[in-house]
Amino acid sequence: MEHALTTQNLTKSYGSVQALRGVNLDVRRGEIFGFLGPNGAGKTTTIRCLLDLIRPNGGTLRVLDLDPQRDPVAVRARAGYLPGELRFDDNMRVEGALRFLNQLRGGKADWGFVRKLAERLDLDLKTQIKNLSKGNKQKVGVVQALMHRPELLLLDEPTASLDPLVQQAVLKLIREAQAEGATVFFSSHILSEVEAIAGRVGIIRGGVVVEVADTSALINRSMRRAHVRFREPVDANSFASLPGVKVLSRDDSTGVLMQVEGEMDGLIKALATFPVSDFETERPSLEEIFLTYYEAERK
Amino acid sequence: MTTIFRNAFTRSWGTILGWGLSLGLLATFLMPFYDTLAGQKESMEKLLASYPPELMAFFGDTGNMTALFTPEGYLGFEFFSYMPIILGIFAVLAGSGLLASDEENGTLDLVLAHPVSRTGLFFGRLLGFVVTTVGILALIWLGLVVGRSWSTIELTGIELARPFLSLGAELMLFGAGTLALSMLLPSRRLAATVAGLALVASYFITSLARINDDLKEIVKFSPLNYYQGGDAIRELNGEWLLGLLGVAALFTLLAWWRFERRDIRVGGEGGWRLPLLSRRKPAFEKS
Repeated sequence: MEHALTTQNLTKSYGSVQALRGVNLDVRRGEIFGFLGPNGAGKTTTIRCLLDLIRPNGGTLRVLDLDPQRDPVAVRARAGYLPGELRFDDNMRVEGALRFLNQLRGGKADWGFVRKLAERLDLDLKTQIKNLSKGNKQKVGVVQALMHRPELLLLDEPTASLDPLVQQAVLKLIREAQAEGATVFFSSHILSEVEAIAGRVGIIRGGVVVEVADTSALINRSMRRAHVRFREPVDANSFASLPGVKVLSRDDSTGVLMQVEGEMDGLIKALATFPVSDFETERPSLEEIFLTYYEAERK
Repeated sequence: MTTIFRNAFTRSWGTILGWGLSLGLLATFLMPFYDTLAGQKESMEKLLASYPPELMAFFGDTGNMTALFTPEGYLGFEFFSYMPIILGIFAVLAGSGLLASDEENGTLDLVLAHPVSRTGLFFGRLLGFVVTTVGILALIWLGLVVGRSWSTIELTGIELARPFLSLGAELMLFGAGTLALSMLLPSRRLAATVAGLALVASYFITSLARINDDLKEIVKFSPLNYYQGGDAIRELNGEWLLGLLGVAALFTLLAWWRFERRDIRVGGEGGWRLPLLSRRKPAFEKS
């Protein structure tokens, strides 16, 4: 499959601190790829390497079939970027800032589209940047990233500082950009939004991508919780010996809460030998899956 | 590059007017006082003779007091002698902030994520600095030309412009030097501090070398030794001018070379620390 961006063994150090320890990623053309990790995991560093804002110490990079270090201008011409630490010249008005950034792109943006984007995000183009709240500055960032309809969107925490309604509007704009053919690579630690729009997810931990999977598969294949209620008291310890099963709690002598990792087959067969009055399973949120990677790290 | 230059120039209008008009008005104000000074030549000579040579050294050559009563001597003593230190502060601040300021406040990250080459950005901003400096010097020169109407000084506009060429070359050298430092050192503030100290040291060494022969060798390395001030009114030393511009060009190349190869920092990311401070971790902690 054709990839919009690829990284192989990407490494980056800041003095003695190794921010990236061999990042391997393939993002397919036309997909929305969520890049998950807590602060300090290497998300921003990876994105900034893709635009040649910082130079990796090792590894290879391809963005839209180009090497960002050899053809940085060509890569940036085809990409839209929303930085995690967004700053503008405070003395400009919103429209002035957007027009300046558009001029840097050779005036490529359709100004009617810019106005439409601003309208949908409830952003006043006449306001001075210094008078904007953090959330409204973020809206300006979203508009400037989308206004030239880029082939590739690199968004670093796109909904940071936005209220829930605007967050939904931004996620909708991202989906629309994808529908028009754009590839979206966005970092986040807000797992619900990644779950809502990303087709695939990459999890980065300590500068290494520890998991890349379809969002739905990641949720499906990992741990679930099973609430079982029996018609009569049972010895819950017999379930703890099953592979992948952990007894979390017993609410009384007939109710057991278990955590099941992997296939449910063993547990269901074991339960069949008992009189079960109720059986309920619960899929974990992406957030819980994500935390398991970090709990493993702490252990 | 054109867009970057236009933006840089638009942002520097306040700087041009602030520095240019204030120093231009000072220049206008000083011109009529030449006649007053020339009318009191005898008493002024006595007064100046009573000053210690260490003080007089900071205002130019003290060997020939009568030069002070010529238009070029007067302007050299009263105006051009301290212009490099005053406008040097502008050059140091502007040079240190040319790229590092936007880098430290985070706006460079967004600008360079657009289809702009680092070379285009660098030279666009540099051109903005050159035009700003020329604008300031032009306003000050205009101040002298306007002030000429209220004095008996009969220097032509071209003669009055010559010291500004020497001054402009000094400002290019300090601006480019500070720019290079800002690309090599971890922060804009440190670059401005180092360059500011170099400016002040150069001023002191050049001034004191006029009365202390022990400094004759060292002063050869002082940039302000090659600043002509009022002497340029009569004859501009082309070799010194080209020498200053040549060193400025070398600093510019060093800064450009470094900017092309370095990481664009966000909040101190990628900065190096002095060995004594190396136990502290770099403050890059953004993911």
